Amino acid sequence: MPESLFSTAKLPGSDDITRKQFGNGAILLTRPNNSSPAVSIRGYLPPGSAAEPPEKYGLVNFLASMLTAGTRRRTFRELHNEIESMGASLSIGAGGLATSFAAQCLREDLPRMLEIMKEVFSEPSFPAKQFQRIKTQILTIIAIQAQDTAAMADQAFDRAIYRAHPYAIPELGFPETVQMISREDLEAFHQRYMGPKGLVAAISGGIQPAEALDAFERTLGTWVNIDQQAQPELPPVEPLTGIIREHVTLQEKSQTDLVMGTFAPKTTGPDFLPAQLGNEILGQFGMMGRIGEAVREKAGLAYYAQSELGMGLGPITWQVVAGVNPNNVDKAIALIRKELSRFTTELVTEEELADVRSAVVGRLPLSLESNAGIASALLNLERYKHSLDYIRELPTRIAAVTREDILRVAQTYWQLDNMVIASAGVALS
Amino acid sequence: MPETLITHTLDNGLRLLIREIHTAPIASCWIWYGVGFRNEVPGKTGLSHWVEHMQFKGTAQRSASWMDHAVARLGGHWNAFTSPDWTTYFETLPASALETALALEADRMRGSLFDPAEVETERTVILSEREGLENDPLFLLNEAVQLRAYQHHPYRGEVIGAKEDLLALTREDLYGHYQNYYQPANALLCLAGDIEPRRALDLVQKFFGGIQGSPFNKHQPAPEEDLPEFERVDLRGPGDTTFIEIAWRAPKGNSEEFFAFTILESLLTGPSSLNMFGSGGISNRTSRLYLALVEKELAVSVNGSLNASIDPGTFSINLTKHPARSVDQLLAALDREIKKIQSKPIALAEIDRAVKQAKALFAYGSDNITNHGFWMGYANSFADYSWFTEYVQRLAAVSPEQVTNIARKYLRPDARVIGVYTPNGEEARDA
Repeated sequence: MPESLFSTAKLPGSDDITRKQFGNGAILLTRPNNSSPAVSIRGYLPPGSAAEPPEKYGLVNFLASMLTAGTRRRTFRELHNEIESMGASLSIGAGGLATSFAAQCLREDLPRMLEIMKEVFSEPSFPAKQFQRIKTQILTIIAIQAQDTAAMADQAFDRAIYRAHPYAIPELGFPETVQMISREDLEAFHQRYMGPKGLVAAISGGIQPAEALDAFERTLGTWVNIDQQAQPELPPVEPLTGIIREHVTLQEKSQTDLVMGTFAPKTTGPDFLPAQLGNEILGQFGMMGRIGEAVREKAGLAYYAQSELGMGLGPITWQVVAGVNPNNVDKAIALIRKELSRFTTELVTEEELADVRSAVVGRLPLSLESNAGIASALLNLERYKHSLDYIRELPTRIAAVTREDILRVAQTYWQLDNMVIASAGVALS
Repeated sequence: MPETLITHTLDNGLRLLIREIHTAPIASCWIWYGVGFRNEVPGKTGLSHWVEHMQFKGTAQRSASWMDHAVARLGGHWNAFTSPDWTTYFETLPASALETALALEADRMRGSLFDPAEVETERTVILSEREGLENDPLFLLNEAVQLRAYQHHPYRGEVIGAKEDLLALTREDLYGHYQNYYQPANALLCLAGDIEPRRALDLVQKFFGGIQGSPFNKHQPAPEEDLPEFERVDLRGPGDTTFIEIAWRAPKGNSEEFFAFTILESLLTGPSSLNMFGSGGISNRTSRLYLALVEKELAVSVNGSLNASIDPGTFSINLTKHPARSVDQLLAALDREIKKIQSKPIALAEIDRAVKQAKALFAYGSDNITNHGFWMGYANSFADYSWFTEYVQRLAAVSPEQVTNIARKYLRPDARVIGVYTPNGEEARDA
């Protein structure tokens, strides 16, 4: 076990992670990295795009873009001059359940960066000129995506698997719904949903916990939105019945992108770890696991072919994705189905399980070497309600997963007669 | 952070750089070969990249899956990159497993099999990789622009190679390329991380010391200092978006001019990062061209690209046109901004800001051990490690006048290639 190659005590845990919930509801987790001259901030806050009304799909993505378009105190140019002159960065994006943010700056600039973030979240001014400009940018991105085979296959997959559920809708929205969004819509949505209740941030870098807590308390810790409402609950998804085959035809494309998949176990549930190890074997370990071996290494059909297990609090999916020549789509589907059949009928080998246990544990120090990696890991502890010692306990939990667990989970979630197969590329022959 | 750099050369010519960094129990092992598509000849393009793929297919000692699994089961990651000037392979893994990486790299320096059946399987994989790239209009546009940016130099091609060459290359072509260029005397080994140098040196000697090199021929193209006469290339394809790429000649990486050009790029299109892994970048919303083109709603986005290379490369600006504007309007506004930077004094504060941004970007990348291994080899591929360690200092020494002069010398309207990708069905409104 690579666990023996490093000490789990060096991983983040309850003795070096500080967590505090502030009076306004916001939560901060922080862990120092004394050797770093920089600081990384990661976080999320409401709303997510699942809260959008159908005629205004794309509203949260638009809102996320407009937050940095200007505030009541600073114009677009002043705001970005402040951020870029520090050599800092701030990006904000829409997700299904929350708006996420990521920032980095030199450690001495953290208090200033947090002030800016508070201003951006609590006092956006939605300037009319920037509103029109950003709308055009969003519409252009949607137009570019409409020619992207991977993006179109993904969207077709989401439409087919989620059907009436909000996750069926792309976060960018559609041209016609984005056109319908007004400045007033953004202002009203911001006032109704965006606030400190539900805000979670993680800070990692060359800053001591007391300093990080103090800087946060003075800024995002003081934010109040008395109008903030809870987001609507997500509706349940309907189970898959039968094979749903979707293809999006795009002209003049050399490659077809393929997405095959089903619903995944809950990230917070007991089936997740067996699924994670199983997914490693299926399409991740080494050169993309069994799927990569069959589709790329042996058949030479694709540059990439792998499986991906989603993570999140909403209904998530477990997919196999590949990029193949249009003439090889059916061959690739058949090979992938063959591997899925094996995955759902046979126990993985002892060697495979030992390999992936070792890989997942051994990857921990690598994924946690950077400030951003640590901040993301801290955020996930809060998101999934794990204990602060969860990362240190992972090796033990992973060691407890058996071959039988993996087969049971594979059989529960992958049913070859109930799946979505979506592709995008030139017309199917 | 310790700044000590240990250098050593083995009797067979293999150069070694070791940098101790003890922030995490991780080590990164990089081996750099002095070969890329710069060393390829017409009709044989794509060789270096294809050889890179074949290096993952096994040796007499180690099968492909053994190599792959040996790194993966340690939780490590490994990969390779082919560039115009170099081909590099790396493993980042727990520091106590450094030996695994060294043994593997030593083995495949001379011992890869190039099994004929594997060569054929990989041909379709690489064609598939190329097809994936061809789906992107920006790849097609870049390919067309680069082709016109040089008359004969190999930089006019793409790393992946021309499709007709990929269909025609043989196992003998690949193996010959490998045998010629994969030599200890044409390689640089860079180790970074939680390493004890004495032990690392012993391991390197153990695994690489016995590799015998042989004389090799390195195809060295004549540099092209100047761009061909002004050219415009028009492409058409599906979609609703017009993309423009403008390319000028840029100084080679190992020149004083390169640092002034880096400041020029930062002022025009925002700071670019030398970080290969993680850490993200800094946005360019207050760069001159963003303010003049995106803020003024002539373009939807603007980006610049400048790479340090052995021979003079290109500096490119990529624009996504605003749907309500014409290509001519956009290019006219671009030219006005370039003229401005060539003719009006540049404030020292603007340069200071670019330097602070470069410093911050290094700070963000420095917590990633893999970046350190990359930086050592990258700088050595066209200069030496001091190019990297003195990078910020040399940027800070650039004067406003130098930036003005560089802009005047290189960003000439009569020495550039303009590529325009227009969606099918859209009128070509501009001359």
